[in-house]
Amino acid sequence: MTIPDVRTRRRRPIIHRASVGLRAIIAAVMTLVFVAPVLWMITTAFKTGNQAFSTEVQWFFTPTLDNFIGILSGFGFVKAFSNSLQVSLISSLLAILLASGIAYPLARFDIRGKSAILGTILSLRIVPPIVLIIPLFLVMRTIGLTGTLTAIIIMHVFMNLPLAVWLLRGFFEDVPKEIEEAAQIDGLSGLGIFFRIVLPLAIPGVAATALLCFVFSWNEFLFASILSNAGSQTLTVALTQYVTPVGTQWTFIMAAGTLVAIPVWIAALSAQKYLVRGLSFGAVK
Amino acid sequence: MSIMKNNLSGARTASKQSGPRRGPRKAGFGPVAAMIPGVLFLAAIAIYPTIYSLSVSLTRWRLTTGEDPRFVGLENYANLLSDSSFWNSVRVTLVFVIFAVSIEFLIAFLMALLFFRGFPGDKLMRTLILLPMLCAPIVVGLLARFSLEPTFGIVNQLMRSFGLPTTEFLGSTELALPTLIAIDVWQWTPFLFLIFLAAMQGLPEEIIEASKLDGASWPKIIWHQFLPLLQYPLMVGILLRLIDSFRVYEIIFMTTRGGPIDATSTMSWQIYDVGFRSFTISYAAAYSWLLLLLVLFTVNLLIRRMVPKF
Repeated sequence: MTIPDVRTRRRRPIIHRASVGLRAIIAAVMTLVFVAPVLWMITTAFKTGNQAFSTEVQWFFTPTLDNFIGILSGFGFVKAFSNSLQVSLISSLLAILLASGIAYPLARFDIRGKSAILGTILSLRIVPPIVLIIPLFLVMRTIGLTGTLTAIIIMHVFMNLPLAVWLLRGFFEDVPKEIEEAAQIDGLSGLGIFFRIVLPLAIPGVAATALLCFVFSWNEFLFASILSNAGSQTLTVALTQYVTPVGTQWTFIMAAGTLVAIPVWIAALSAQKYLVRGLSFGAVK
Repeated sequence: MSIMKNNLSGARTASKQSGPRRGPRKAGFGPVAAMIPGVLFLAAIAIYPTIYSLSVSLTRWRLTTGEDPRFVGLENYANLLSDSSFWNSVRVTLVFVIFAVSIEFLIAFLMALLFFRGFPGDKLMRTLILLPMLCAPIVVGLLARFSLEPTFGIVNQLMRSFGLPTTEFLGSTELALPTLIAIDVWQWTPFLFLIFLAAMQGLPEEIIEASKLDGASWPKIIWHQFLPLLQYPLMVGILLRLIDSFRVYEIIFMTTRGGPIDATSTMSWQIYDVGFRSFTISYAAAYSWLLLLLVLFTVNLLIRRMVPKF
């Protein structure tokens, strides 16, 4: 009933208004379904144990910062946060750098086997990470990289490269060709054209791509858990340690979960304009 | 039609946009040199380990015994194919993938239709709906475990307030897999919703207007206009979800760990279990190869089905 018959709607605007109202109500209920658990996580993070473990959900309560203080002062959370930050920042930058090298020539030049290259890069996205992790774990172990941030960074660059190549190619193609040609006539070299003309013009798209890479790296768990040790844990790995068979401290965990989620929300919302294009590999703009 | 294409299949048609008047510049050595580091990096991480994994899968190798790998030919594969826990994991994986992706598709499409013609507050709601998708899967796993806890979890509290009995969602062999599917649906429907809505809003208004003038009803417009025109973005969305749902791992790690018994033991989980908990690395390598084949087969099947010319 959400989609009114168009003919009745034309004749009778009251029905039209009613249908807008109805759709808004249904949409609000749907939104609640998706938001309520997240909201519950955030509110629990501000609760004391007694408030959280009552048999009735308490939506109104006196908030406490004890959980956050507890999290930030123990369990190596700060160390894990800094590890995550390093891994995500370095791997996103490297991914953008390597991807630009591939994407710009593919966007602008006549390169043999162009679509084959793009297709192969895209198909890497199909391979489940668990398939790669066994051989890569063995290789990393042999060259002594397991337990280092470098190992995780390498895997995250690899994970984000296909997406970055596809997105950046689209953003570079959007830069008007005429500007580049003018720069060429003015005597700028190929590298000069890229760094002084194309990159500045494509910077919103490049930034959005970097933010997405950051988000995926920040949220990644499998590679980080298998390749890290106690010192090189990222946040997602550290989170799992709060869950013990006995006495899981839920208020602590929800505070930690909130802290893990916040940077991603900020990053994604600042790239919201490009979110659709980014998440669909540039297929939908 | 040409506006359509530009809106929807940017990746494919953007090169046409940049002008039919002049062909692309001929590539000298410079541009090709710029590609070398990235391509070498991808090749090093993807190709070498793949071959290495294939050779490991033909050996018998346990990391715990300290023995060197011994070549055994196809023994691992033969053992796998006669291993009932392998076939169980194939079944669990396919059930999870098929149900999760189709439910997500259906809900996301209906929600996109709901939001397609705006209403007050739709922008804010759209942004809020994205929150689950932006949580790390490991956080979602934790949240699910907490929400579904029998005594103080929000889901059971809600159910009790409706007079329904307290339910152990993750602890029951019948309910565990549907519950995991529901968690996946909760987290990833927003992703498809976002893509579908953007694609619908990219449709040229004239097409809808023209159909309306012809006296077509909304269901007819959706069936005859939307579905064919949206084929490409719909397919991309489903394909990405399909690829990702095969790798479901974090929520299982955080909630059921493959149990109860092996009700939620997907292939990804089994490979982890065999490889990194019992360290039978060669068996896990063979296992991964079969998973890869299954993923490739399914993705291929879908692409062929949906777009014959793809």
